[in-house]
Amino acid sequence: MNKTVNINLAGIFFHIDEDAYLKLQGYLEAIKRSLANSQGSDEIIADIEARIAELFNERVQNNKQVIRLKEVDEVISIMGQPEDYVVDDEIFEDEPHTNSSQKTHTKKKLFRDADNAYISGVSSGVAHYFGIDAIWVRLAWILLVFGLGTGVLLYILLWILVPEAKTTAEKIMMTGEPVNISNIEKKIKDGFENVSQAAKNVSDSVSQAAKNVDFKKSTNSIKSTSRTFFDSLADAVMLLFKIFSKFIGILLIFIGAVTLIALIISLFSVGVADIIHIPGFENIDILNIGNTPIWLVSLSIFFAVGIPFFFLFYLGLKILINNLKSIGNIAKFTLLGVWIISIICLIVFGIRQASEHAFNESYIKKTALPITAKDTLIVKMVHSHKFNSKRRHNDFKLTHDDHGNKVLYSSDIRVMVKSTTDTIATLSVIKNADGRSFDAAIARAKNIDYHYAFTNGTLLLDSYLTTNAKNKFSDQEVDLVLYLPENTVVYFNSNTKDFIHYRTHDDHLVSSKNTNHFIKILDNNSKCLDCPDWEEDDINIEVSTPEIKIDNNGIKVDSDEIKININSEGINIKSNH
Amino acid sequence: MKIENTKAQMRKGVLEFCILSVLKDEDAYVAEILSTLKDAKLLVVEGTIYPLLTRLKNADLLSYRWEESTSGPPRKYYSLTETGHLFLTELSSTWNALQNAVNIVTSQKNNKNE
Repeated sequence: MNKTVNINLAGIFFHIDEDAYLKLQGYLEAIKRSLANSQGSDEIIADIEARIAELFNERVQNNKQVIRLKEVDEVISIMGQPEDYVVDDEIFEDEPHTNSSQKTHTKKKLFRDADNAYISGVSSGVAHYFGIDAIWVRLAWILLVFGLGTGVLLYILLWILVPEAKTTAEKIMMTGEPVNISNIEKKIKDGFENVSQAAKNVSDSVSQAAKNVDFKKSTNSIKSTSRTFFDSLADAVMLLFKIFSKFIGILLIFIGAVTLIALIISLFSVGVADIIHIPGFENIDILNIGNTPIWLVSLSIFFAVGIPFFFLFYLGLKILINNLKSIGNIAKFTLLGVWIISIICLIVFGIRQASEHAFNESYIKKTALPITAKDTLIVKMVHSHKFNSKRRHNDFKLTHDDHGNKVLYSSDIRVMVKSTTDTIATLSVIKNADGRSFDAAIARAKNIDYHYAFTNGTLLLDSYLTTNAKNKFSDQEVDLVLYLPENTVVYFNSNTKDFIHYRTHDDHLVSSKNTNHFIKILDNNSKCLDCPDWEEDDINIEVSTPEIKIDNNGIKVDSDEIKININSEGINIKSNH
Repeated sequence: MKIENTKAQMRKGVLEFCILSVLKDEDAYVAEILSTLKDAKLLVVEGTIYPLLTRLKNADLLSYRWEESTSGPPRKYYSLTETGHLFLTELSSTWNALQNAVNIVTSQKNNKNE
């Protein structure tokens, strides 16, 4: 018993079996599609339908007879396959019309072949694209992985960017065959055959197993043993690979997830840090001289770091779960776009931050000290109980001053001593700071608070500078230059040691070694008044005659008449006569 | 290169000429044209002819009229137009020349082989 359908074909009424109807419908659809590029396809279809009606009419004797699958098959064999309808345009090219659309069909496209996939089908897709066997591509991957691991990166990139061939049309495009009806049909048939083949294999193996249970060994079992051995070896290797890839998947998921969670937590905490004042966060704010909104920076960092790790996470998931739904190309490209934008943002922030150091300017204030020749000046540092007393370059601390204002504190203080021909001593306070422009640098330098006191021949220097936290940290430092008239004596307290340069240079006359000693300032020179002799490193005795030289090495006399050399090796006298 | 494709192309190339020749003396509907071509073994499947007919009609080489049929749907009777006749004359002279040329070439080959 069969269900029938009534159809109207070119104005003629037919009874037709449902399966026959479906076949006819599919046939006509296929013809319509294959004629889609031809001119007047509607008319052609109408003619074809009329002819089919005619052929059916010849095959039915009376109105009550039904068209069966047999008749439809006959008619189709008379009419021909869908591609027979396509007129070869190259032969019958009598009118110019566009056939470019047809050409694009045969173009090969790169897809991932999930049907023959090992991990994601990238290899088999690439193999289809280049028309080679997938095994070569896979071998190339393995080589690339050992070659600095570039293969992994490339593979991941291809995985993300190359779409999977999902529809039959895409699968055909992947292999480079032209997309037409018969190819699609063939592909679908192949799929069915594969399935039926697989089913057959299963039933075969079941029956084989049943045989084994019965202990009935087939006669050719020995012949197949070697084959099955290699098969099982291949299976074992495959399994090993699969386990390995799953392991990598788990690892990727773990790395991705941990990083993402950490990023989310840190983003959240930065976002709320303004409210709950997490210690250390204020320091970030002080460093942010570019005045870039913190949330923007942290968001950029979040995306710049987070998105690659998200992809890593996604990749891991994909390895673990075979039929994971794709997040879609739109999502992928959006994420890529956001990532690029955040990278650009970070670069811009970096440049802004760097440009804040474009100018380093000084604000100088000179004060005269009532110290004249023969006076003795004592220099001491005054430490604050709040801050540590060690000098540190490029370091800062954020605290509150006595009025409760946020203050930036730094111990970047340097002390130098120079001689002057003036009769009175001068203290020059040079405040340095960086800034985006000359004005900004000067303004920042002016905002440095630095104090000293002079009482009864003692100069008390603060060991720290402070500035309002609003000014941000931008290499603020204070150079103190003490200009002393010749013949004054200066005494540096031992606590100044950190703040005086170790070496004497640039007219800087007192080394940090010479703290705790009275030092007499000479013309561009200094003399320690109470240093033990052994502390003198160099003996330098000026002798008016150039023939005689006395230094650390010994005594050398080099005259026309005699050469005398006295050193640690002994005495050597040579007469020129 | 498949032999089937080449054969089909050869056949398709002369098909236009043959359709016009069938319609030279008398009007015919599709089934008649088809049976003539099929008897001559020029056509294996019918599908090819429909796009060709439409193409020739659109090029004003053919025209058609509807005629009622006692059995089945109304029939499209095709006939040659003025331009169709001119076209056919030109094609037949070309065909004769071509046939000649092919004959000469193929018989020469045969003579050499023998």
